[in-house]
Formats: sequence, structure tokens, C-alpha cells
Amino acid sequence: MAGHFSHSLSRITPMLTRRPLFFAAALLSLGVLCQPALAQQGPEVTARAFVQETARQLLSVINTNSSLPEKQKLIRPMIDARVDVDGIARFCLGRFWRTASPDQQGDFLKLFHAVLVKSVSGKIGDYNGVTIDVGKAQMRDEGVIVTTTITRPNNAPAQVDWLVVTQAGQPRLADMIAAGTSLRLTTRKDYESYLNRNSNDVSALLAALHKQADSDGGA
Amino acid sequence: MGFARNFVSAVTTAVCLASLLAGCATAPPADDPDAVAEYKENNDPLEPTNRVIYDINDSIDSAVFVPIAKGYRFAVPEPVRHGVHNLLTNISSVPVLANDLLQGNLDGAGDTFARLAINTTIGLGGIIDVANDWGIRQHDADFGMTMALWGVDPGPFLFLPLLGPSNPRDLGGYVGDIAFDPVTYMTGPNWRLFSYSRFGAKAIDARERHLDDLEEIKKNALDPYATLRSLYNQNRAQQIEQARQAREAASGAKDDQ
Repeated sequence: MAGHFSHSLSRITPMLTRRPLFFAAALLSLGVLCQPALAQQGPEVTARAFVQETARQLLSVINTNSSLPEKQKLIRPMIDARVDVDGIARFCLGRFWRTASPDQQGDFLKLFHAVLVKSVSGKIGDYNGVTIDVGKAQMRDEGVIVTTTITRPNNAPAQVDWLVVTQAGQPRLADMIAAGTSLRLTTRKDYESYLNRNSNDVSALLAALHKQADSDGGA
Repeated sequence: MGFARNFVSAVTTAVCLASLLAGCATAPPADDPDAVAEYKENNDPLEPTNRVIYDINDSIDSAVFVPIAKGYRFAVPEPVRHGVHNLLTNISSVPVLANDLLQGNLDGAGDTFARLAINTTIGLGGIIDVANDWGIRQHDADFGMTMALWGVDPGPFLFLPLLGPSNPRDLGGYVGDIAFDPVTYMTGPNWRLFSYSRFGAKAIDARERHLDDLEEIKKNALDPYATLRSLYNQNRAQQIEQARQAREAASGAKDDQ
């Protein structure tokens, strides 16, 4: 019995010792093959990479020696490519989107876009020397929240959360949240109150946005 | 003092008149569910009165506080203003400690206590935020948040003379925090002078720090009042949620032991 046992053991042992090696090799090759695929699949990973790249592009415009108008010229295509402007616009109009006529909807989207670009480019000058550290990403109902720490010279670091949604298969920025305050929700409340005080007339809002878009200097 | 008393009574009279004239908001008709939901969400049944107070505040702000804050920014270099802000934060941190404890936020209380001890000594009375450089960050805790954790209802939104956006719970919290402050119980003219000076300095410091964002709101918002109301409500909700999470983390850690 003992002999038989030791005999089979001697046959099994090399297999056992070799097996982990085989597993390790298999896992490694699998890992190498799967890693990029996994990274593509995780919405948190995609969103985080998107924010990182957006921040990099944004900083490459802000922190250069080119003139302010030159910087502002570069910002617009970046907003078009990376921000879900139409989605934000519809969110901000809220329940009034449904009562607006198709013409008003179209005008609203156009004006909202202009006001947004203007407001972002108006702030570029204030952010010279800014750094953005990208932190963790978390899945939420409305999209992925990516936490960043934005540090401006002479200012305390501020935590800003970026909401990333998927628009036609592509990640897009949908909101920024600082100290619990959401940019798109605050704008929605602003529009809502303005409409309430102007007999819920969407054309009054359009006129006000027109004025904002045409006024000199964003902020 | 005479000026201050006259000023306060003028504001009080203005507010009383405003409430009489403006009254309450009319609730939207019940057959418009969206509008009703919106009305409830804003939680601002005193809106017409609040708006009158907002307008009065805004005029006083533009005429008095903004010029003072701009003068302060112009005359005093940034590092000095930074030191003043640190000092004011440090000498007002006992109520924060009291609220950390009342909220069951033991980590927060430890941080606040350590910051007070480190900054008062090594930080030269609090001018230098040494504790922050050591990784102990400043956080807010007030009695309004504490009462929120106790389940006290905020009540309707209020826009208060001089104090700005609030609600009955947070106004009560403001009074409660005065009671938590040891300076309140100090007697003698020097402590009174200290108390008034600190109040004035905190007002100027806070106004200077918000010069840019408030100017931007007034310039870019279609309805600055509604924007401020929304910002206040969102910010308070987050502060209370963070305090709730800190309390849960503390009680969780205790359960694990």
C-alpha cells in the first residue's frame, strides 16, 4: 500500500508543482489580454480617464502664455467635444421644455450654448496657475461622479465633483458640484424662478438669455 | 452705539413694514402638480417678505459692506488677510468643538481640539494654520446642523436682515452657537470690545472672501435671490449629510469594538 501510495505521489508531485506555474502563465496571458477590455467596460474607469484628459486639455489652454482671446478661441471646441451642452440645457429648462414650442426649444439650445461658452471663457483669466488632481470615481443613478481637487494660487484647495454621463456611447461632462451645490441644478432653479415671475413665458427667458449672450464680458 | 441702535431699529422697522406690505406667497393651484412640487421644494412661503429683506440687504451690502471689503482687499496684502482669517477661525472654534461632540462626530471633535491646541500655541494664536500643514483640516460644525441631526425641522426658508439666507432652525442654531462661545460669558469692557471687534472682523473677512462669487451671482443670475436660496439649501443639505455620515462612521467604529 505504502509503496503504491508513494509511487502515485511521485507521479502527482511534479504535476502539482508544475500546475501553479501553468496557472500563473495562463492568468498572466489572460490578464494581459483582458486588461484593456476591462478598462473599457468599467464606466467608472472610463469616466475617470475622461475627466483626467479633459482636465489635461483644459489646463493646457489655461496655463500657457498665449493671450486671453487666443485661449478663449480654444475653449469653444473643447466644450463642444466634451460637454453634454444640450443635455444640460434641457435639464436647466426643466418642466418648461415641454411647454416650449419647437422653435423656442431650438432658440433655447442655441442661446444656452452661447451663454455657457461665454461664462466659461470669462473665467479662464481667473484660473491662471490652477492645478487639478483627479480622485476616485463612483457610479450614481445619474452617471459617474469623479471627485477632483482644484487648487488655484492663493486659494484653499476646493473639492469639485464632475458628473460624467454617456451620450451616444461617448463620455460627456454633465455637471460640476462644489460644496454640495450643483451648477445645473442652481441654474435650473434660477430659470424656474425667473419664469415664475414672468408668467411662465419661455420667450421672456429667451429674451433674458439673449441679453446675457450679447452683454460684454462674461463674468 | 447710538448709531448701531438706530440702525438696528431702522432695519427692524423696515422688516416689519415689509412683512405687512408683502405678506405671504400664494400657493399655486392644486391642478398644476409641477408647480405645486416646485413650491414645496423651494419651501419659501414667506417669499414676498424675504425678497423685500433681500433687496434691503442688497442695498446696504452695496453701499456699506462691499466698499469696506474692497478697501480691505486693496489695503491689506493677501498673506496678512490669510493670517487674519486663520486667527478668526481659531478664536471661534469652541462652538465647533461643542457641536462636533453633540453630533457624535468624535473624529471631528479630535480634529477641532487638536487644531485649537496646535494653532493657538505653535501657530501663534492661530495666525498660522500649522495644523492644516500637518494634515488636520478645518471643518464646519454649527448648532443648526446639530439640530438637523436631532431631527429638528428646518421650517420655511428665511432671508434675514444682515445675516442673509437661513431658516428658523439655523437661526436658532446661530443663537445656540453664541451660547457655546466662552467669550459670551466673559464680563468687563475689554471682553465686550473683543467680542464686537471679532464680530466686525468676521463680517469683513467673510464679505471679502465672497466678493467675487457674490458679484458673479448678481451679474450672471437671472434671479439672484432664487439662486442664493438654492445655493444655501444645497450647501446646507450637503453639510448635514456629511455630519450624518461622520456620526454613522463613529457609531460604526464603536460597534465594531
